[in-house]
Amino acid sequence: MALIEIDDLHVSVADREILKGVSLAIDAGTTHAIMGPNGTGKSTLSNVIAGREGYDVTKGSITFNGKNLFDMAADERARAGIFLAFQYPVEIPGVSTSAFLKTAINARRRAAGEPEIDAMEFLKLVKSKTKALGIPDDMIKRPLNVGFSGGEKKRAEVLQMSLLEPRFAVLDETDSGLDIDALKVVADGVNALRDKERAFLVITHYQRLLNYIVPDFVHVLSGGRIVASGGKELAAKLEAEGYAQFQSAA
Amino acid sequence: MTIVTARPGLLSHPFGERYAARIGALPGAPHAWVDGLRQSARAILGAQGLPGPKSEAWKFTSAVDLAKTPFIPANLADDIDVVDVPHNVPRIEGAVRIVTVNGIVRRDLSDAFDKIDGVSVLSLREALAAAHETLKAVIGGLASPGAYPMAAVNTAYMADGFVIQVAKNVQTTRLHLISIGAAGAEPVSFHPRSVIGVAAGGNVALVETHVGLPGHSYFSNPVTEAVVGQGGVLKRYVMVDEDADAFHGSVSAVSLAARATYEDFRLCLGGRKVRQDIVVNLEGEGGNAQIHGAYALARSDHADISTFIDHAVPCCTSAQEFKGVVAGKSHAVFQGRIRVAKDAQKTNATQSHKGLFLNPGPVIDCKPELEIFADDVQCAHGAATGEVDEGQLFYLMSRGIDPDTARGLLIAGFVEGATEKISDEPVRAAFVGAIETWLKRRLAEAVAL
Ligand SMILES: Nc1ncnc2c1ncn2[C@@H]1O[C@H](COP(=O)(O)OP(=O)(O)OP(=O)(O)O)[C@@H](O)[C@H]1O
Ligand SMILES: [Mg+2]
Repeated sequence: MALIEIDDLHVSVADREILKGVSLAIDAGTTHAIMGPNGTGKSTLSNVIAGREGYDVTKGSITFNGKNLFDMAADERARAGIFLAFQYPVEIPGVSTSAFLKTAINARRRAAGEPEIDAMEFLKLVKSKTKALGIPDDMIKRPLNVGFSGGEKKRAEVLQMSLLEPRFAVLDETDSGLDIDALKVVADGVNALRDKERAFLVITHYQRLLNYIVPDFVHVLSGGRIVASGGKELAAKLEAEGYAQFQSAA
Repeated sequence: MTIVTARPGLLSHPFGERYAARIGALPGAPHAWVDGLRQSARAILGAQGLPGPKSEAWKFTSAVDLAKTPFIPANLADDIDVVDVPHNVPRIEGAVRIVTVNGIVRRDLSDAFDKIDGVSVLSLREALAAAHETLKAVIGGLASPGAYPMAAVNTAYMADGFVIQVAKNVQTTRLHLISIGAAGAEPVSFHPRSVIGVAAGGNVALVETHVGLPGHSYFSNPVTEAVVGQGGVLKRYVMVDEDADAFHGSVSAVSLAARATYEDFRLCLGGRKVRQDIVVNLEGEGGNAQIHGAYALARSDHADISTFIDHAVPCCTSAQEFKGVVAGKSHAVFQGRIRVAKDAQKTNATQSHKGLFLNPGPVIDCKPELEIFADDVQCAHGAATGEVDEGQLFYLMSRGIDPDTARGLLIAGFVEGATEKISDEPVRAAFVGAIETWLKRRLAEAVAL
């Protein structure tokens, strides 16, 4: 059985149908990529997986680890192992990044029946991850995402993912805003988590990221449907030829 | 007791005969200059009464319930039976504590304050008896009884308070003035009056906490006038956490000389009706007024902050940032008036107010008033009210944080974030602690709504 199974998903926003029957099964141990034109519903799909409100699921289902995702609130999904790296991470003034990280780690630990992380262990853990991701120490003390540069925000998303160790992570354009070195650092951060228990869905506009995070499957989302699927070579083809061929099909 | 009925259209109020009968017994009464101040304030009070519903300056804060409460004047003796400072008064690291009960200075509850390096602290009574120079020069000149009804009541019946004089070039001293309200069977009122002088280059931080004994009904009516000399720094951090049945009406009026700084932070955590007027006159070039605050209200608390920043001369800066949360059936008011005189070019004046609703019951009123007569001026203002941001909430929940905790983090972050304006770290820490206590106590009930 797939780790996550999206079946004939129809989603409307403000009475407009955005997703028009998306089906996708992702096995543990695999990485899938989704590419597609602007405004076709990639972030909509991400948000619906993560449990954001304001989307009308008019038809279809998402099953995660055998459970119906729509029975779970966003925080329950996260504690069950779902993670979304946001296309636009949200700034939260007044809440320090470190206090937030600690609260999130402990929420996860409590759900797993583990003891809360102590201050020393937390510092050590965060330090090892920030170092690997090239995140300066003082960023952790600042309010969450406030005043972070575009690239810093994306690194901070990957930092959160590394700390929370999800079973299934959606990365929504995590490469946008990253310089070439940062792209590699972030990809290493993702690759370090890849194992046979976990799965990833990587949303991107550029093949470059997929040179570093090599996907097992690539899908094209256009007009609210998956219109093509293939191996990693599909990404190269898209980069060379664009989406026009699929848009007529959609 | 008798309640004076004022002329038609004016609010009747209790600060009439019974109060006037005691004027002769008030400290300083034998001095003609003191008596003159009191009598003219009484005349203004008689003519204007307390502000009624038609008063523009008080349009969001009704004085009716204040006027209807049959207050009696608090005892002048320092013998009210209070043995300890209430637990909601924070300990401020390195601060000399000076306690008043019903406005009367209580040496028995205070740290020694006679020998602070470079800072002289007298009770108003001592200073009146000595016809203290700064007191005589400043009192009544900044907090005008005609413009500020709370100053009129105070000037008529002031009985104690402080005269604080900071010597030239004195570096930061921290004082913590603690006001405790304690009524007997009848509601009492007290009217402490303070004058602060900071000489050129002096620097002082005054923390004030205004609290009351639980269940007591009182009207705390402090008025403070301050004059800051060239390059001097006055910091005032005022926490008002009055009891649910208590009234608080204050006026703070400050005059700044060239390159002087006034930093003021208000934290209001409750009170039946709290009105704080803050008036700053920028009278020397390079003056800097940092007037900020936060509030957290529940129950039927009502808190009003009304500021008036007067840029009389060029090249001064003023900044105001107020943030608060409202729960229960509370009511928050922010009125921010800025005047930039014709000659006050190169003024930089900013103002912002943000309010957060924790449930649908409360009211927030906000009124910015900009009167700008100069043309080379930077003046930005903004106001916003709303609920906890859905996008922020989702972000936190998407990391596994349950909605109550997430909401709590956002609310705490919002209010506590305001304290970043407090430059004195021990005070900031104490105020954050007070906000956290408030949130712990009130949030469970607010979030449940
Ligand atoms: N809250 C909303 N209200 C109205 N329309 C919305 C809302 N959210 C998304 N949409 C619309 O849904 C469509 C899909 O948006 P979505 O963000 O999913 O696209 P995307 O594929 O992620 O695009 P991009 O590549 O630019 O990130 C767009 O037309 C967008 O305007
Ligand atoms: Mg998108």
